[in-house]
Amino acid sequence: MNRMRSFLTLLGIVIGITAIILVMSLGQGAQNLILSQIQSMGPKVIAVAPGRQPKGITDMLSTFTDSLKEKDIEELKKKNNVPHLADIMPIVFGSQTAVYENNAYRPTILGVTGLFTKIYNIYPNQGRIFTDEEVKGYADVAIIGSKVKTQLFGNDDALGQRIKIKGKSFRIIGIFPKTGQVSFLNFDDIAIIPHTTAQQYIFGIKYFNRIVIEADSEENVNRTVEDIKITLRNNHNITDPSKDDFFVETQAEALKMVGAITGIFTLFLAAIAAISLFVGGIGIMNIMLVSVTERTREIGLRKALGATGKNILTQFLFEAVMLTTAGGVIGIILGLLLSFVISFVLGHYLALAWQFVIPVQAIILGLGVSTLIGLIFGIYPARKASRKSPIEALRYE
Amino acid sequence: MKMAIIEVKNLEKTYRDETETTALRGLNFSIKNGEFVSIVGPSGSGKSTLLHILGFLDRLTGGEYLFEGKSMNDYSDEELAQVRNKKMGFVFQAFNLLPRTTVLENVKLPLLYSAVKESLWNEIALKAIDSVGLSDRVDHESARLSGGEKQRVAIARALINDPSIIFADEPTGNLDSKSGGQVMEILEKLNQEGRTIILVTHESYTAEYANRLIKVKDGLVEFDGPIVKEHKQQNGFIK
Repeated sequence: MNRMRSFLTLLGIVIGITAIILVMSLGQGAQNLILSQIQSMGPKVIAVAPGRQPKGITDMLSTFTDSLKEKDIEELKKKNNVPHLADIMPIVFGSQTAVYENNAYRPTILGVTGLFTKIYNIYPNQGRIFTDEEVKGYADVAIIGSKVKTQLFGNDDALGQRIKIKGKSFRIIGIFPKTGQVSFLNFDDIAIIPHTTAQQYIFGIKYFNRIVIEADSEENVNRTVEDIKITLRNNHNITDPSKDDFFVETQAEALKMVGAITGIFTLFLAAIAAISLFVGGIGIMNIMLVSVTERTREIGLRKALGATGKNILTQFLFEAVMLTTAGGVIGIILGLLLSFVISFVLGHYLALAWQFVIPVQAIILGLGVSTLIGLIFGIYPARKASRKSPIEALRYE
Repeated sequence: MKMAIIEVKNLEKTYRDETETTALRGLNFSIKNGEFVSIVGPSGSGKSTLLHILGFLDRLTGGEYLFEGKSMNDYSDEELAQVRNKKMGFVFQAFNLLPRTTVLENVKLPLLYSAVKESLWNEIALKAIDSVGLSDRVDHESARLSGGEKQRVAIARALINDPSIIFADEPTGNLDSKSGGQVMEILEKLNQEGRTIILVTHESYTAEYANRLIKVKDGLVEFDGPIVKEHKQQNGFIK
């Protein structure tokens, strides 16, 4: 059969299978990444954010960014309001330039409390975390991530040195070990300071960007979420829950949301793959019909030499399946290559902890689907071939 | 007395497309094992149709055709294919070789549909190729051969399953007289080895290689009788 023609016909199958591999490999990679980040937060952690939960990309602006205040913390801390609360920590954050001598670097500044290490399970390998007294006393102390340390100090010792953030001098009391991306944050790229100091001197705000609460046990998370909502509504004089100016997230909910999003994403791309495969299948049927007509004499000859209808059917079906399976194999190789390149780019240039996933299931699926397409779209031309009478086929010019 | 390998009684063939065309209108004859029969007649006489039916390539529409004593009507399409494969060999005017395929692969083609073990295929095929004198062309692509060589490959292919009968449909029609003569000599040799040969031709010089002549005209047998050796020699067609 004409090679160029076969190849062009195969493109539909190749694209379809490539899409399947790509979707499953990248989808799995994205899901793994997001899940690992969510899970690193711990199942007992509940995050309260200001504003409404965004319903979509266009909804991002409809947030009340200043709705979480010191008063909320005090109310949430009360045992009769949220009985199963174990820890509570406010967070303020933003990017600011940090300067040491002639070096400047712009890390993410996080204003937190000493509970930061416990909640995120990350501890300085040099120095220490700040104390409650330092938080209360607006202390000018900072703990920096490994990349921030290298950028500002190179190989020099940073502990005890002073850096300037937005004109204010901070003493380095701790350095985090190299950790990478955890829970939406690159821990190598942060500087943490007491939230009081951050509100007062760096960001000049009176509210919080997040309140992080840890429940005393996993079983009590849902109850605690409800208690938090009730407390905050009372505190903000909200009676209609749809008018909440905050939203509460748990690991379980985040996981559910990620599952839903990746599900829609996968479905969407799977539909594209399916259309491409269907079109590809029709292409295969078309070329097989052309081939059957072109090879009418050959069919007649084979029949004259003793081939039964079944022999001819099997031959043409086999050819169709070989064709689509070849397309499938090309698609799988192409899909894996593309996934690998994309994973590499995401991991290398976007500094995501992205892992290239070889989707074994997708490879099996790809082979299965391409073979099936060969069978489905090859059966009609093959039957047509098998039903040719030997004499009519031999007479054909 | 040799057994009749072919027996036709009132054989009829009518094609029904848009119009009804009667190609054969009741033929009667029998052919014994080991005969070399030429079927001749003007174009449109029905001789090719007759050959196709005798070769199990086409069904009859009336009368009866007994091959080795069994009526064709008692065979299913699958069984017809098996008989074609095991007991019949075909040589066509247009050679009908697979073009981008070697001589060896072409000759092996019928074995694909036989019960012969694959490990024996090459050996059998090489023997058949040798018997038509093309051992030096085994790995050539069939499209690169001369017409005479192509037809000899086709004969080797027809011989591969050791058939008892060979049907040749204008085997020299596309050949010059020299290679046509070679092809006819091979057929004659095969007949001397005991195979039945049925040859359809419109050229009298090839027809005369046979021992018996059946003339078909307008779907009926017009003449059926032996070809006398002396007559052949007079015409100078014997080597």
